[in-house]
Amino acid sequence: MIDNFISGSAALFGDPFTIGIFIFGVIGGMLFGAIPGVSMLTLAAILLPFTASLEPAQGVMLFAVIYCTGTYGGAITAILFNIPGAPENAPTAFDGYPMTLKGQSGKAVGAAVLCSAIGGVSSALIMMAATEPLANWAISNIGPPEIFALVFFGLAVASSVGGRTMWKGWMSVLLGLLVATIGQDPVGGINRYNFGFADLAAGIAFVPAIMGFFAVSEIFVQAEKKAVGKYEAPKMSLDFPTLLELWTHKIAVIRSMFVGFFCGILPGIGATLAAFMGYGEAVRWSKDKESFGKGNLEGVISSETANNAATGAAMIPLLALGLPGGAMTALMVGVFQMHDLEPGPMVFYNSPDLIWIVFAAMFYANLSILFIGLIETKTILYLLKIPFQFLAPMILLLASIGSYIGRGLVLDVIIMFGAGIMGFLLRRSGYSIPGIVLGIILGKIGEQNFAQGMQMVHYDVLEYLSRPICLLLIIAGLLTFFTGIYKALSFSLKS
Amino acid sequence: MKNFKVSKLVKFGFTTVIGLLMAGAGTAGTFECKVKNSSMAKPAGFPSRALTMIVPYGPAGGSGQVSSAMAEAVTGHTGVNINRDHKPGGSGTVGMTAYMSAPADGYTVLEHIDDASSAHALDSSKPNPAVDLIPLVTSQVTFSQIYIRTNETRYNDWASFVKYVKAQNGKSTIANVSKEGSMERVTMKFITEGAGLKIQQISFDKGAPRYGALLGGQVDALFEQPGDVRKFLDAKKFKPILTVFNERPSVFADVPTHKEMGYNFEPLLRFRGFFVNAKAPSDRVKWLQWAFQRAYCQDSYQKFNDSKYMGVIDSYRDTAGAKELITSTIAQYREVYKAMGLKLK
Repeated sequence: MIDNFISGSAALFGDPFTIGIFIFGVIGGMLFGAIPGVSMLTLAAILLPFTASLEPAQGVMLFAVIYCTGTYGGAITAILFNIPGAPENAPTAFDGYPMTLKGQSGKAVGAAVLCSAIGGVSSALIMMAATEPLANWAISNIGPPEIFALVFFGLAVASSVGGRTMWKGWMSVLLGLLVATIGQDPVGGINRYNFGFADLAAGIAFVPAIMGFFAVSEIFVQAEKKAVGKYEAPKMSLDFPTLLELWTHKIAVIRSMFVGFFCGILPGIGATLAAFMGYGEAVRWSKDKESFGKGNLEGVISSETANNAATGAAMIPLLALGLPGGAMTALMVGVFQMHDLEPGPMVFYNSPDLIWIVFAAMFYANLSILFIGLIETKTILYLLKIPFQFLAPMILLLASIGSYIGRGLVLDVIIMFGAGIMGFLLRRSGYSIPGIVLGIILGKIGEQNFAQGMQMVHYDVLEYLSRPICLLLIIAGLLTFFTGIYKALSFSLKS
Repeated sequence: MKNFKVSKLVKFGFTTVIGLLMAGAGTAGTFECKVKNSSMAKPAGFPSRALTMIVPYGPAGGSGQVSSAMAEAVTGHTGVNINRDHKPGGSGTVGMTAYMSAPADGYTVLEHIDDASSAHALDSSKPNPAVDLIPLVTSQVTFSQIYIRTNETRYNDWASFVKYVKAQNGKSTIANVSKEGSMERVTMKFITEGAGLKIQQISFDKGAPRYGALLGGQVDALFEQPGDVRKFLDAKKFKPILTVFNERPSVFADVPTHKEMGYNFEPLLRFRGFFVNAKAPSDRVKWLQWAFQRAYCQDSYQKFNDSKYMGVIDSYRDTAGAKELITSTIAQYREVYKAMGLKLK
């Protein structure tokens, strides 16, 4: 492995043009990830035709680098403005933005930079060590029944995040799950709650919902404060977390690395579930669950470690089996095909040089997040100095563009504003915006896998529970659920 | 849904209709470009700007790939750029709705698949691709197969698979896209009725989890088209055990067809093509027909089609041929849906 890594590094840094492509990918991924309204997918889609004129290794390497740095880039706007650059950065906003409001933006951004690098580098190392066996293990042992159990396990802690009471937390999650059922059902193709609108047949897209519930509702909240004279501008802070502070969260980092990696290697799942699961596990194991959603640094650490850990992992089913883990890896298939290559088992035998350049580039891209990210952060934090009356319309404009650009539907902009108004009203009543978003995202993934899982076990619950991973995750989820209820009831009785 | 027998379908006599369909769907011979004119004057300067192609599916799937290859070929020989606008969702209905509300000026074209025909067959209020649209070219026509893992030890061909499935008494599973009224569900209904099988269909709407389910042994078999799983065939990970086509394509000469197994139904084909609104100015439509049909002959497009096994049977239909294919397919689906007890609108 070390020999291959050295030869991959030599090929990467031995050619000035390849170095140029690498640097372009690092900076382009960060920029497109950080600018609300566009994403690394936008950049990848623009670049796809141009990869035909590159060497195959250069083209695939460019996309892999964009994937690593783009996943990190969305964390910055999530923390500073409550605008997640992509769905996988949404959990970062749960605690990152409250930290900004408390004047701790430097700490949050610094932690995001460091943990993205740690998560990405560690997953790149595991990817290099054991791509083929891990891919085969994942597809042999984890199917739809297990993925549903994983989602159930993740949802069980959602009630603790951000709601004024546990009951309001659960109501928020259930509202998110209800919203997730809009559109065609994932198995039978039957339309639900689309009220005759064809555009709603595809359901509520993640991006407009996230933009609305986070960014737009926040603008309304701050505008109301401004109107009644209670507005306080977020304090800019350049205080990065100390090493000691980060060391106290080492367990969260390691746990999120494994959670992110595990979710990343599942075909078709990718970084979004990884980030939500990483965040959920941080809440589950915390002694201070109530502080999540209100500015707990561990929330940022867990989410950003997990989503970047998923990037290397998502390359495993792609390269070993030809199975893309998400939208970005699916676009990488296009790069392979432009050069008459197919990702999959044969690529290790036919193009080992390509594989090791890509592996080496992903390793260095994640490392560069650390250095370029810290430099970038010191400048980007000054955006917080922009007065609210200028910042708010800019955010609304960028959020509208971001919502529209995904599918080119005006409906998505309407949904964004609808979600913003709904989020504003629900927040006033103490409901949890993170809970709603968790419900929407995990609901879509969970329902599909539940339906497929039930078909696979012939609708027999006992057969479902005879799968060891399912049994373990369902029991763990139920325990979390009932422990939460017991604690809430005990607290109510005492008070 | 009422149970029905394949024999009922024969009563409807729709095989006559299908004769039309299959007449043009024989195995392909040597490729010969049907459009001889290598250039055509632009009618009144049309197009003076880039075209927009609405694609009702994501960029990474079969439709995304064929639209990319076709756009590249059209641009390559006409110099006119095509911007692809992906509007996925609702089994193609989101993209179709967006297309029908776009100006009918010829600047916006549509990629769509046979799902548009089956959707119209089920609900006539949805656009009829042969009437409300003008097919510019159908550039991919393919058949389906049933695949198993190459290293499978429980069965190794169709006969042993059928035996295994029967012994499992409904516990066996097959991965496909089994949405209500879909080509996959209808074809599987024919096969299971014909073979006397009871098998659980697991619906995966995305390719990666679907193929992963077979690779990892989560399901026993996979229903798919050969172009979509070519990399697994080339890597000897999957192997076909049944071809749903009237004759054995030469590249799958050792795989039996459903007809040979005694399942008497006409195969439903998967096809992808490009359309323009029927209300678009006729001179612009003529130019677009030439541009897309000629693009089919471009080396880049032929290379793409070959890589997807789209040269195994004749994939090309001009406007008249595509209309015939779509019309006969709609008629076929209507008969099938009636026989299945589905309510037609």
